[in-house]
Amino acid sequence: MIAVENVSHRFETSGRQSHLALDDITLEITDGAFVSILGPSGCGKSTLLYIIGGFVKPTGGVARVQGRAITGPGPDRGPVFQEFALFPWKTVLGNVMYGPRQQRIPRAEAEVQVRRLIDMVGLKGYENFYPKELSGGMKQRVAIARTLAYNPSVLLMDEPFGALDAHTRTRLQNDLLNIWERDRKTVLFVTHAVDEAVFLSDKVIVMTRSPGRIKTIIDIDLPRPRKRAELLLDARYQNYVVAIERLIDDTGIDEAAR
Amino acid sequence: MARRHFPDMLLGLAPILMLIALWQVIVWSGTAPVALLPSPFSVFARFSAQLLRPEFHHEIAATLMRLFAGFAIAVVLGVSIGLAAAVKPVVDAVVKPLVRILAPVPKVALYPALLLTLGFDHASKISLVAADALFPILLATYYGASMVEQKLIWSAMAAGTPRAQIIWKIVLPASLPSILTGCRIGLVISSIVVFLAEMITSTDGLGHMLVQAARTFQTVDMFVPLITISLLGLILNAALHLLRRYLLKGFAEI
Ligand SMILES: Nc1ncnc2c1ncn2[C@@H]1O[C@H](COP(=O)(O)OP(=O)(O)OP(=O)(O)O)[C@@H](O)[C@H]1O
Ligand SMILES: [Mg+2]
Repeated sequence: MIAVENVSHRFETSGRQSHLALDDITLEITDGAFVSILGPSGCGKSTLLYIIGGFVKPTGGVARVQGRAITGPGPDRGPVFQEFALFPWKTVLGNVMYGPRQQRIPRAEAEVQVRRLIDMVGLKGYENFYPKELSGGMKQRVAIARTLAYNPSVLLMDEPFGALDAHTRTRLQNDLLNIWERDRKTVLFVTHAVDEAVFLSDKVIVMTRSPGRIKTIIDIDLPRPRKRAELLLDARYQNYVVAIERLIDDTGIDEAAR
Repeated sequence: MARRHFPDMLLGLAPILMLIALWQVIVWSGTAPVALLPSPFSVFARFSAQLLRPEFHHEIAATLMRLFAGFAIAVVLGVSIGLAAAVKPVVDAVVKPLVRILAPVPKVALYPALLLTLGFDHASKISLVAADALFPILLATYYGASMVEQKLIWSAMAAGTPRAQIIWKIVLPASLPSILTGCRIGLVISSIVVFLAEMITSTDGLGHMLVQAARTFQTVDMFVPLITISLLGLILNAALHLLRRYLLKGFAEI
């Protein structure tokens, strides 16, 4: 379980002011849950992910995995960054091999799994390309494969499908659901797309505009395994999407009124 | 690829040929007496003749050995100190003031002291080369390593790379473009400084050859070491360029 207890984060900005990015966030994510975070740009979604990843130490409160306070990154929590952060000096294969090799999995064994993953994200044939030779969407898929390759039990995904075309996005959503249904990873998934959040998640967390607070947490009570074609026609699905969209609009109005 | 680079090379050769032509024109015009400015033909003829003599090989070898030794020391020290300072605030605190004081010092001013402590042989010249080439490499490494994208480091840490290995596995390769730029500058400085050191005091090397020739008014012989060092510089630079192309395959156009 991931537990975030009264976490606040204040950035010291260059203009000797400070900026409150997260304000008193408390939430619990049970093992194996698929949780999405929605919120306006700049509300602190990435920051919250970094705190759970152990990359950023919160200035207030504490975040825990399995009861232990998070003190740093670890291969139990795999991030997929908004900016991809691929290693430019490594090929696609080299990037995806990195994690398994750090976990001391023998090269031959790792390579079999890694090639399968690369195939899964639709990049078969691009193994020897360098990141600079790939499109934005392809880079994003390499980044996802690189993280999946070391098999973390928690996935921290920061708008992982943001740079993808509609077709690839749909395919990868299904692939992610399949992986998740098979391995029951805990997924924390930041997105701007309401339909994507509803389609994938058990829970959707809606955050307010900065300083980021939790506005509402909505349980998505839809049957699994989810089939996209059926879901799109399902009135419950449509209601969730409309309700959440309305909530986010309100968040915007809050800001305008201030 | 090779076809496309061919005209580029020709274009690069053109200014050099023009410079030689200008040299010839000055000789022909008689503005400089032939005793002071020999024609390029006599210089190249002497250069070709020298190339067959083992004594000349010895001079080149002595210069190259000092150049490489000094440059190698500068690369090792510059890269390791630069990386350490960029990653460890403690090292940074110690190194920064030292660099600020030492970088602008003309290192050649230290040469007499180096001669007295290390003697007239290789060691003093190698040290001078290393001292001069060190700072551009150190500074380039430091800035390159300080600008490594944070998320590359985070990605590696999440994949299980221990903090102590991040510097070799991530920071070093990520700052390679900048390091190699520093090395290129360091290499040019090394060839200048090794020649200079040999001109000041030496019993062999290209710089020594030049001074010997100048003392005895052998102007043709004076120009031979000059064109030798510039040819060597050209070759070394090309070699470094190839190494750079190979090492930086994955990086955006450089
Ligand atoms: N290193 C930093 N220094 C100072 N302020 C920062 C820093 N990183 C983020 N912030 C601020 O914290 C707030 C939250 O940033 P964060 O990146 O978490 O937002 P986000 O919700 O992920 O936005 P987006 O949807 O655009 O990715 C923003 O207002 C941003 O300006
Ligand atoms: Mg973000």
